[in-house]
Amino acid sequence: MTGSISVIRVGDLLLVTVPPDPDDPTVGELQEGVLRAMEQYDAKGLVLDISTVETLDSFFARTIAETAQMVGLMGGRTVIAGMRASVAITATQLGLTLGGSLTALDVDRALRLLGRGAQGGAR
Amino acid sequence: MTDLLEGEIGIATESDLVVARKAVRGAADSLGFSVTDVTRIVTAASELTRNIFRYAGTGVMRWHRLERGGSLGLELTFADDGPGIGDIEQAMQAGFSSSGGLGLGLPGAKRLMDEMEIASEVGKGTTVTVRKWRRKA
Repeated sequence: MTGSISVIRVGDLLLVTVPPDPDDPTVGELQEGVLRAMEQYDAKGLVLDISTVETLDSFFARTIAETAQMVGLMGGRTVIAGMRASVAITATQLGLTLGGSLTALDVDRALRLLGRGAQGGAR
Repeated sequence: MTDLLEGEIGIATESDLVVARKAVRGAADSLGFSVTDVTRIVTAASELTRNIFRYAGTGVMRWHRLERGGSLGLELTFADDGPGIGDIEQAMQAGFSSSGGLGLGLPGAKRLMDEMEIASEVGKGTTVTVRKWRRKA
């Protein structure tokens, strides 16, 4: 599973699609890759697409929340997009929070939330 | 041939977490659990497998199909020869962690499953058993 994280640039934003069942090193790699790309591309925000993720356990959630916090320290905003209903139910019962991260139903809405997308601007 | 509904996996490395999640997903899927229940079971398994890896280093996960009074279920057992849990009540409190984790593992897994039992002896090891019953359609 290593090497399966790719960070895509969309204007001044970064888009990362998280694989369905990443192992711990891949989750760690995601965090490092995102922070490197933030610096390299002078990005203003990050969209984490978790629409294919079927299992969000406490380690994974903590890494996501930490990444969002780190991106925030670097001046960017993070939107977590596409959480499945079954994952949202499970995460809530487990007691997970994603810190103060913004969330969106899908990537399109996430991009619009960050001021970019088909409609070309924030609401 | 591996039986989806019964088996055993040794836990020793991070990649075994992925193997364990896949095995539990396969078992829960084939028993006909709902998508949300499959997610609950796999997530609980992930927490408990990680506990083995984090606290004991190595251990084993076993799973098998249950049948009781016409209901189907899945039982998962996580056993290790690690340091054991000194105070189970404390370990069951959300937010308590002796490892710098979030402290959600045991109490979280209990909320996601229908039944949970913990047997532990300091210096000998820990066995956590969880069960989930399929809701009748």
